[in-house]
Amino acid sequence: MSAASDVRRLHSLPIRIPERKILYRLGYKGRNAQVSDTVSEMITEQEKRLGTLLRPEALYRILNYDETNQHPVFKGAAKVALCICTIGEELERSSAALIEDNEMLRGFILDSFGSEAAEETAIQADRIIAQEARGLGLWPSKRFSPGYSIWDIREQSYMFATLPASEIGVRLTDTFMMVPRKSVSFRINFYRNREQTTRRFG
Amino acid sequence: MEQDTLLSEMTQSIIDGNRNQAEILAREAVSQGMDLNAVIEQGFVPGIQRVGDLWEQGEYFLPELITSAECMKAVMNILQPELDKANIRARSLGKVVIGTIEGDIHDIGKSLVASMLGANGFDVVDLGADVKLDRFIATAQEVEADLICVSALLTTTMLLQKTLVAHLREQGLLDRFKVMVGGAPVNQRWAQDIGAHGYAENAMTAVQAVKELLGSRLEP
Repeated sequence: MSAASDVRRLHSLPIRIPERKILYRLGYKGRNAQVSDTVSEMITEQEKRLGTLLRPEALYRILNYDETNQHPVFKGAAKVALCICTIGEELERSSAALIEDNEMLRGFILDSFGSEAAEETAIQADRIIAQEARGLGLWPSKRFSPGYSIWDIREQSYMFATLPASEIGVRLTDTFMMVPRKSVSFRINFYRNREQTTRRFG
Repeated sequence: MEQDTLLSEMTQSIIDGNRNQAEILAREAVSQGMDLNAVIEQGFVPGIQRVGDLWEQGEYFLPELITSAECMKAVMNILQPELDKANIRARSLGKVVIGTIEGDIHDIGKSLVASMLGANGFDVVDLGADVKLDRFIATAQEVEADLICVSALLTTTMLLQKTLVAHLREQGLLDRFKVMVGGAPVNQRWAQDIGAHGYAENAMTAVQAVKELLGSRLEP
């Protein structure tokens, strides 16, 4: 738990990344795409490093609607969960070092693992938050990030003012980008009625 | 080894993405006193061109492109000092200044484009990420670039691509430097709307787009 009692901190999230997701990022999109042994070996080699490079963590906070900044995207929600996740900066450093060392492909593969790991961290946090909504007798929405639809990227400032992101080593730049880059921020609205949410199976 | 055989093996080493073999052949060419521009243009460049063709045909994927580009870089690391020693300039398809725009710290996509352009015979000055608009312009003037490539990964930072083009126009430099834009939120329509000369969706199409953009300048 965080110092602020209503902020929950998740860590040691189990991250599993199917190889097909990495292959997709590497452009292997056709059914007949043949992956060379060399590339397969490089993927396996970088995957083995993830144990020491990934630090998947998340912070979230559940607010009553009237405790939020009442942005239009929260309208109709009984409560709103705000969450920031990251995989830490070790993987990014390591990927950059590989590229610097003329190991562009290894660096790109590792970076792809990082992108998928950040997404998987968000998925895990999303599941936990959705369960919590259900425990409160409410219906969780899908997760949405600042920068999508009418929720402007500048709302990142509100996210970072509401959550002590520095506790998991995430900061915001002047242009509203998160550092480490492999970080995700999102909201989930909790509704009183199932009809209000578009999340499948409520 | 016969020179023709050597050239053919150089081509194949790039197609295979075999860095060790490419480096051995480059050293062999140096030790035999071969014409190094011919080595590059008739030996190694046909390899990277073939790799591009194989990618277009769906035979090769991003890893093969990257590996072959790395081979070309390794080869040039051997040949360039020899060319410099002999005061010979390697023929270049053009000079490109590339970077990710101010306020944007995404780097890897831009680095891939830089790597592909370098492997395909362009002189590339990679300014990295979070590059101030003035630095793009100052560097382009300093190195007498043909093209400025500007990447942006966010809808907020892509707006600065428009500002860069406007600055170049205000300073009367838009005729001097071509501008190509790229990045996840960017498309051809955006490039046209802001007055950029070109747009590329990915690293390999960037090579073709730059060749087309600079084609008219490079013809004798």
